[in-house]
Amino acid sequence: MLSEYKEVFLEELEEQLQVMDEVIMQLEQDGETEQVVQSLFRAAHTLKGSSAAMGYEDMKQLTHEMEHLLDQVRCNVLAVTAPLIDLLFQSLDCLKKLREDILRNDASETDISQYVQNLRAFVAAPIEPVALPQEVSFSSLPELSLQQRLKVQEAQDDGLLVHWIRVKLSPDCVIKGARVYVIHSNLSSWGEVYYTSPDIDGLEEQTNDAQDEFQFLYAGTQSGKELQELTARLTEVDYVDTILFPDEANIAEEHVNASYAIRQGNAEATTATQTNISSSKSPTIRVSVDRLDHLMNLVGELVIDHTRINQVERMLRSNNVDESVEGLSQVSDHLSRIIADLQDSVMKARMLPIEQLFNRFPRMIRDLTRDLGKDIELTIGGKDTELDRTIIEKIADPLIHLIRNAVDHGIEMPQQRVLSGKSRKGSLQIRAAHEDNLVVIYVEDDGAGIDPEKMKQSALRKGIITVEEAEALSDREAIELIFRPGFSTASSVSDVSGRGVGMDIVRSHIQKLNGLIDIETKLGEGTRFKIKLPLTLAIIIGLLVKLGDQTFIIPMGNIAEIVRISHDEITMVRGQPVILLRNQIIPIVWLHDRFNIRRAEQMKDNIQLVIVGSAEKRMALAVDELIGNQEIVIKSLGSYIGKVEGIAGSTILGDGKVALILEVSGIINQR
Amino acid sequence: MQTIGQEQYIEFAIEKEQYGISIQDIHEIIKMQDITQIPNVKHYVEGVINLRGKIVPVISLRKFFGMEVKDYSRATRVIVVHHQEDTVGIIVDRVNKVTTFTDIQPPPERVGGIDGNYFVGIGLTNDGLVAILKLNEVLLHERE
Repeated sequence: MLSEYKEVFLEELEEQLQVMDEVIMQLEQDGETEQVVQSLFRAAHTLKGSSAAMGYEDMKQLTHEMEHLLDQVRCNVLAVTAPLIDLLFQSLDCLKKLREDILRNDASETDISQYVQNLRAFVAAPIEPVALPQEVSFSSLPELSLQQRLKVQEAQDDGLLVHWIRVKLSPDCVIKGARVYVIHSNLSSWGEVYYTSPDIDGLEEQTNDAQDEFQFLYAGTQSGKELQELTARLTEVDYVDTILFPDEANIAEEHVNASYAIRQGNAEATTATQTNISSSKSPTIRVSVDRLDHLMNLVGELVIDHTRINQVERMLRSNNVDESVEGLSQVSDHLSRIIADLQDSVMKARMLPIEQLFNRFPRMIRDLTRDLGKDIELTIGGKDTELDRTIIEKIADPLIHLIRNAVDHGIEMPQQRVLSGKSRKGSLQIRAAHEDNLVVIYVEDDGAGIDPEKMKQSALRKGIITVEEAEALSDREAIELIFRPGFSTASSVSDVSGRGVGMDIVRSHIQKLNGLIDIETKLGEGTRFKIKLPLTLAIIIGLLVKLGDQTFIIPMGNIAEIVRISHDEITMVRGQPVILLRNQIIPIVWLHDRFNIRRAEQMKDNIQLVIVGSAEKRMALAVDELIGNQEIVIKSLGSYIGKVEGIAGSTILGDGKVALILEVSGIINQR
Repeated sequence: MQTIGQEQYIEFAIEKEQYGISIQDIHEIIKMQDITQIPNVKHYVEGVINLRGKIVPVISLRKFFGMEVKDYSRATRVIVVHHQEDTVGIIVDRVNKVTTFTDIQPPPERVGGIDGNYFVGIGLTNDGLVAILKLNEVLLHERE
């Protein structure tokens, strides 16, 4: 039963941990405000409840201690200090570790005792029983399973009162099991008993009479006092105690309501707000990505079929115009709008704001700057830029690596910055934006920049390039050495970056996503990385080009620009035709030769070049004709043909013909 | 010697030779389509076609058997067969008919100059002999 809920729990957990991360950061930056402490407290409380329900004891304990600590802050017993914030961060990290444990094997391996101790040690004053009387006593009661909690919730929703009844039998009572059974059946006749501790079924055979304290979870209409009186009347009951079961749902919204109520100034507003809150949550369901992929494929088929219909319509129109063609064209127009909408909706369903990735960065920067003794101000922009879920997942690692690099190698130490006439505080900007159907992410720092000379020397030392190669390299090419495997400019291997993985990992990730990466750097002023990514992987925009009489498609994400040059602009460098474009030497490739296609007659004076790129590499493809842009659905060539170098797949064009999609990264690497 | 019940075969021809494929392996038989060539693949892979929205690779049996290459004619057909998870089209000169065999004999070492391993056997009909293709051997061919 639990596995069904596990996913829900994990999702909630991740959400709450994210909230805590943000809130603790806020607490550190803006100091203590009631609202911030409150939301942190609430997050800890929520986690405590759900982890207890799922039976994750360690997590429950840790969140309990955190909650306790926060309660002290809330009641102004403890002040928010740097050590306290560190402690909170440490505990949060421990929670994250616990989460990973759960993800891995459903059991916690992380030792939390140290963290619990630290938290406890920090709480100087003993627990004030007034603060949360219900919770203090509740935690000494047995934990309920999720199912039981749901039952309690249900009863509470029905207006029943749920109580914990604790009964102590007189020590000289002989058959305690039977006695408890009597109490149980009495209680059952008044209302409903959800849970008995110890378990009622095992009691009758129980010969060991040491147990004289029993707990019942009871739902009924009676108040605590009535219950106490009723139960105490039963024979051999020594002592009865009742605790009202807290109404979880109400607790969660209590604080929200309270603050609203204050603002509104009257008590009646509370109920009004409460209904607003519950109705404003737009209902959601969880859908597996596979299903969305399938939907996307179907939409892809529709897109293809529709281009086909258009083609047929054009053919009919050229032959004869009668009413039936007119009708077809109307239907086709309507269909095209619906398909566009449908495609948009399905795509949106797969999209997430990049926020959920970006939100990880403030914490990361905080820790990094601390470890490295740097002073950095982080600016994040374009958080709400949406892109495909899989792309967000896949771009996370490269981005993190870029940011670590910027902090570690890019931005200088404060003293050094002052010496070079810069502000003490370094600046790091991370921005995302939509640019013509692509997503662009910038990572920009105002650090030292990349020195091409240093890069060359370093590459020479590591044997990545030869002396001749080094001499031939332009500054730009020297800077791009950073992407070579085994290249790391860090003079010492620090914990932060330069663990040998290096930027070539960044490059290969971006390559896999059909993206581009550009570096702009100025010595002493800073470095800017620009990453261009497609919005989605399923349907792409492609440029249709002709090579000979065959149509090929170049994914838009790989296209840097399109230029037309005359033959005499081509120069030869070491036997390779190249063009010079804004100080960049770009090799020209006639794919005809590789694909065994006859080159078109050179009747025209100009050559059409499509400048394509994969990650940082650029290449100019000479094409015979540009046809135009089109949305295309990538279809694999199937396992019989398998992987063909330089071909990413195929698609079906409007005329029903199959066109091949070029795999730019493969073509570039083939050189 | 084995007796075959009523298993049906499609009988087709390249040049004057008759070949057969078990009807159970056949998805459909279509006329020649526009083929999109694929660069840098095995020489007998002609390319891919669009079969109602599905990309299907097609191979030339002539080229596969190393026979003289001829232009396609009105009679040229593509026999689309199931092959494991895939669908593959096989280009043949013409398709004759559906047939059954009175007897199937094991293939000789060479069948009209072609390696006998590509055949299940030789089927006997009233009109003559039919070389039955061993599809797996043809489609999984990796010997080049």
